[in-house]
Amino acid sequence: MNCELHDDLLDDYVDGARASDHRSDERFAAFEQHLTGCTRCQALVADLTSIRLAASTLDEHIPPPRLWARIASSIDEQQRQPWWQRQLGGTFSAWVPAAVAASIALLLVAGGWNAWQQRRVETPQQVAAPQPETESIPAEQHYEQAIAGLQQLAQAQNGALDPETRAVLTKNLAVIDRAIDESRAALDQEPASALAQESLLEALETKVALLQETVALASDTGGQPEETAGSARELDQ
Amino acid sequence: MRTADLELAARCRAGDAGAFEELYRQHARRLFSLVVRMIGSVDDAEDLLQEVFLQAHRKLSGFRGDSALGTWLYRLTMNHCLDHLRARQVRMNRATESLDEEGAEEPAAPAPAVPAAVSRLDLERAINMLPDGARAVFLLHDVEGFEHREIAQILGISEGTSKSQVHKARMKLRMILGR
Repeated sequence: MNCELHDDLLDDYVDGARASDHRSDERFAAFEQHLTGCTRCQALVADLTSIRLAASTLDEHIPPPRLWARIASSIDEQQRQPWWQRQLGGTFSAWVPAAVAASIALLLVAGGWNAWQQRRVETPQQVAAPQPETESIPAEQHYEQAIAGLQQLAQAQNGALDPETRAVLTKNLAVIDRAIDESRAALDQEPASALAQESLLEALETKVALLQETVALASDTGGQPEETAGSARELDQ
Repeated sequence: MRTADLELAARCRAGDAGAFEELYRQHARRLFSLVVRMIGSVDDAEDLLQEVFLQAHRKLSGFRGDSALGTWLYRLTMNHCLDHLRARQVRMNRATESLDEEGAEEPAAPAPAVPAAVSRLDLERAINMLPDGARAVFLLHDVEGFEHREIAQILGISEGTSKSQVHKARMKLRMILGR
């Protein structure tokens, strides 16, 4: 009799399924009959049974006690963050510090790109519009300028992103925009509140980082949307 | 079981300080063992399991009780493990294989007999040599004792794929251990 005919039952048999459990299935009875006279299948059953038994008795690896302490401490830290940062979760943790550092350089790049764009469209009123002195621009305005420049870049390259990534990034931007609106509302109520100011700047900073990521993703693809598939993670809701 | 899970999840969401620790204590040992065997490093396993529990803490609001809380945690854990392994494979520029890939079949020549009592150390080493997909399914089925139906839920594969991967893993282990 051909052993391969019974291969699909071999693992079930090793896992404990017997003909007596499957009276309506004649294949089990045929396999058990075949087994009595087939050394190849007997050896297979013996070997796989040994492996299965050994696997079920492997020692446990015990997590070190410090692991819970680390987790509990991280949870405490998370809970002290504003809600929108908690929603962003680990999505940006790896690159936010670098992105924030780079955002200063990007302010200049985005500003230059803006000026170049304005010259291209030759809108005299816009070109002639007086630019505020850099030194006198408050931090919020710096971020807004960077955001405006990056948004233009992101829109220009939007087609390079696959639809799924684009949808996730759009959703993430909506979350951060909500955070910015809420921070502004809080600041309107308490203009002198350092916490409200800090919260707004943090939200703006995160939006700059998110837009940078969008532009970077689009640039990485070189116009191949499928290469960004699954690149952005949706926020934890 | 489901009711207890839903209650525990609800306590976690309500900010009960002890509830999430209870969840951790219930599952951490088995999950840690699984992660160590999946990624082959105790140090990396510690970092990875920390990420898993932090993600679980954030995502508990989305737990609806459609599966057992343990199954849900295993799903998060295996996703993290497979992401970690994929990233490592990319870094090492190695060939990857998906869970549904059939891969290498058993050798044509009969493998030498496996010792009647397989040494745990030898088995640990042999498991580490399995392809990622087959290792994941073997660990869940033969080590953790999950049914194919549950493995299908955890890994997002079909029951048939789960069965074929267990078979493939056992045959590979037989070959390795019989050397």
